[in-house]
Amino acid sequence: MGVIRAEPARMTDWAAKSVGLAWRAFDWQLLTYAALLGAIGLAMAYTNSVEDGKLPLEAGTTFTRGLMWAVIAVVAYVLATAFDYRWLKTLAWPIYALQLGLLVLTLGIGDGVGGAARWISVGPFTFQFSELAKVLMIVVLANYLGARQGRLDSIGSILGACVLIVPPLVLVMLQPDLGTSLVFGGILVGMLWMSGASLKWLLALGALVIAMIPLAWTYVLRDYQKARLDSFLNPAPDVQGAGYQLFQAQISVGSGGWLGKGLTNGTPAQSGFLPVQTTDFVFAKLAEELGFLGAMVTFLLFVLLLWRILADGWRSRDAFGTMFAAGVASMILFQLVVNVGMVLGVMPITGIPLPFVTHGGASLVSLAIALGIMQSINIRQSKAEW
Amino acid sequence: MNSYVDGRVEPSRRLSRFLVFALAAIIGISGLTARLFYLQIANGTEFSALSAQNRTVLQSIASSRGLIYDRNGRLLVTNVPTYTVKVRPSDLPNSRREEVVQRLAALTGVNSADINTAIDGNPGSSFDLVRVADDVDKATALLIAEAGADLPGVEVVVEARRHYTDGALMSQLLGYTGPISAEQLAVLKTSGYLPDDLLGKTGLEASYEKQLRGTYGSESVERDAQGRKIQVLQTVSEAKAGDSLTLTIDTQAQKDAEKALRWAMAQVGIKRGTVIAMNPQNGEILAMVSLPTYDNNQFARGITNKEYQKLLNNPDKPLINHATQAWYPPGSTYKLVTGTGAIADGKVTANTQVATKGFLTLGTTRFYDWNHRGFGPCDIYCGFGHSSDTYFFTLAGKLGIDRLAYWAEQYGFGSPTGIDLPGEVAGIVPSNQWKQDTLGAAIFPGETYQAGIGQGYDVVTPLQLINAYAALANGGTLYQPHLVKDIIGPDGQIVETIKPTVLRKLDVKASVLKTMRNAARAVVTLRHTYNLVDLPIKIAGKSGTAEFGLKDRQGRLPFHSWFVGFTPGDPYHGSFDKTDSKLVVLAFAYDSRTKSNAGTEIVKYFMQLYYGIKKDYRNQLTIGNHYQSN
Repeated sequence: MGVIRAEPARMTDWAAKSVGLAWRAFDWQLLTYAALLGAIGLAMAYTNSVEDGKLPLEAGTTFTRGLMWAVIAVVAYVLATAFDYRWLKTLAWPIYALQLGLLVLTLGIGDGVGGAARWISVGPFTFQFSELAKVLMIVVLANYLGARQGRLDSIGSILGACVLIVPPLVLVMLQPDLGTSLVFGGILVGMLWMSGASLKWLLALGALVIAMIPLAWTYVLRDYQKARLDSFLNPAPDVQGAGYQLFQAQISVGSGGWLGKGLTNGTPAQSGFLPVQTTDFVFAKLAEELGFLGAMVTFLLFVLLLWRILADGWRSRDAFGTMFAAGVASMILFQLVVNVGMVLGVMPITGIPLPFVTHGGASLVSLAIALGIMQSINIRQSKAEW
Repeated sequence: MNSYVDGRVEPSRRLSRFLVFALAAIIGISGLTARLFYLQIANGTEFSALSAQNRTVLQSIASSRGLIYDRNGRLLVTNVPTYTVKVRPSDLPNSRREEVVQRLAALTGVNSADINTAIDGNPGSSFDLVRVADDVDKATALLIAEAGADLPGVEVVVEARRHYTDGALMSQLLGYTGPISAEQLAVLKTSGYLPDDLLGKTGLEASYEKQLRGTYGSESVERDAQGRKIQVLQTVSEAKAGDSLTLTIDTQAQKDAEKALRWAMAQVGIKRGTVIAMNPQNGEILAMVSLPTYDNNQFARGITNKEYQKLLNNPDKPLINHATQAWYPPGSTYKLVTGTGAIADGKVTANTQVATKGFLTLGTTRFYDWNHRGFGPCDIYCGFGHSSDTYFFTLAGKLGIDRLAYWAEQYGFGSPTGIDLPGEVAGIVPSNQWKQDTLGAAIFPGETYQAGIGQGYDVVTPLQLINAYAALANGGTLYQPHLVKDIIGPDGQIVETIKPTVLRKLDVKASVLKTMRNAARAVVTLRHTYNLVDLPIKIAGKSGTAEFGLKDRQGRLPFHSWFVGFTPGDPYHGSFDKTDSKLVVLAFAYDSRTKSNAGTEIVKYFMQLYYGIKKDYRNQLTIGNHYQSN
């Protein structure tokens, strides 16, 4: 080990000599699980459109927009797979700048509900750049941590990663979007863990973060965010207020039973009982209509997907690949647990989408890009080189 | 450790970190699975129920309330559609409440304090509608209905309201409907009453609430999270209209009674009075007037607090039916009890001559006759006819208080008659036991004298008194007076005919009552009631002047005037030997202060109107005192 080999540039080699190898390295399972999860998301969009009393293929329904975004996601996925991920390492700093730029842009001209600035509208389309920013952040961190393999016993590398993540985190907090900033935190923790960073320093860092919670409560969180946390800790007294969504979500989930009510047989969104059921609370809808078994299938697909991502990361010969896989897995796991936990009343309400299932173009396209990069990493791990 | 291949950094993979990460994922997802299992499977049925309840509710469909007719089929109450403004407090944000209440007050004319009181006094939950303004006009209703977001939580509902054809004339009998109170709701919720429901509050509307209301239907309604109706899913049960009532009341007789009473009251400024007419053969009430009164349409419309306070603060209590809900000393009319008892118990016969004097002395106390010269030796016809107090002091003394009480109870005094009106009071029949129980002392002999002439502790309701005379007139049957003749189903068919209820057959020989009827006729023929005898119809009866309250400067007490009279079956040619009377009439004038007996004049006028007697026999009433007449 420790052998340094001088390798000629191979970027041009790929198309010419290793198409077969590349396809063998392509992780078909990863694609399949992600596609199935995306299909569940489309099914939920379909059921919501029908329950709103619309024809599923009518213009402007949740379902047609879902289909459109799915097509865009496929294109993004293909492009990301084709793109040689190694350029990402080269372009890591410009990418970091791009990420910050998008977030600043969002703050500047973004739209949102109730004074928030979360998405940018172009014509009829809206795009939430913070979703893309998460993936870009993973790229930047994977590059940083990947380059520092073996030097991660020092506090310096850990602090470096933290310093990198602070500017986008602050920009997202300013939108304000507590959920996405938490995801940033989750990604950082997951990646630091998988990078092999010193346990001692990780624990010290964790202790520091916990110590800062009271400060965050006082100076950082907005009133509505505090109300949500409050209602999470104490849901019963405020069934009509902040605890309402939570209570209604649990009623929806609970009424599903083993097999659910069947698609399109759930509580219509227009009745107003179950708010944001196409987005953050989509899992309540899923559990209501597809039941416990449907939810189990969904969980299983997530487990398989995470397994494939971790396996691909493990298989990667490049620390960037391992780190990137760690970041994507952390992001998906974190969002899954927090989003579903929120619907089930075991996590506070934060606006975190359920990967693939939540209706939202930015989330889906960003995930497609992330998985495309993952495949790009896979197919560029030619063992034949060894 | 690191191998640089093609710009790649060989990763320093650590299996332990991967495994811990995988473990974290497994724990997280297992936790979610467990929670999901708990919600969907373990507690699933509970949430299913909540979910269904969330969207579909059973809503009541109001039934149409039964109507009320007089005995001749005249419609006394109708249902009129009206607009009612209601507020659902849960939809009215506190921050906007003040503004919304002010706007509603301006639009409906209901004052804002009343609106606030209604919202705060809401008997249901904050999700239930509260009525704040009844009977608003159509233009206002439309304005409010269209205001939408400007008046959050405010709704306009079309409801049926009661309209009472004759208003105040029948108020004391019909009563009115009003919003259900919290206490009533607590009891009636299980019978399908709603927090914003209307129900009979008093009078026949209250006592026949069950029949009049009918049965509310129900429909299952899909609603949104704000509780608004989206659509009716199915009608679970149809509403069944309430039954209607045919009363024993004759509207014309009721009008005549009121006219006669108002005439007398107006002449000398009498503040309260009652006239009752009934058929002694079956206890049917033909007319029952209590003045002052109120207009029940005011309540049906939704009375304002100010109007209500005015009625409550009136010292003559217009909301009280003085015929059944108040008691008064009966005075000489009560001599019926004393006379009947003394003869039935064999203390005297009809012809026993009793010495009447200016006064009787008990110990050192003198008990005066109203006629300070006395009437000399008197039999029952002379004693009752002239209303000799000393005659009845003697009889009461012979009977003793307890036998007197026994006969009073035989005639129905001391307990409610059981008429189908709410709030009837019992009156008092004094006895040794009663005085011991309530005042802790035995009866003095003087108090027995007083009781014998209907003074002292004796108090009766006008209805009890007329019912006693009805028993006299019909030969000894005490009926339960009633106001409803028939109950009619929604299809117009009679559901139930109210049969006369016999409370008691008087424990007395028919001959004794015949004697008393003729003694009552003697009251008229001896001209104790002046020209009442001149009427072409035959009337027997008894007047009474009942002292009450405190003496004035001349040592005289204020007094009420009574007269109870009846006609034979054939009023023109009949005989009081018979028991075929069809009409008993009572008049009571509270604090009458008249020289001649106001009660007699009222009954006389009523008889003239009722029998269509053209010639007017009325005497002008003047202020005076009863020492000139009794």
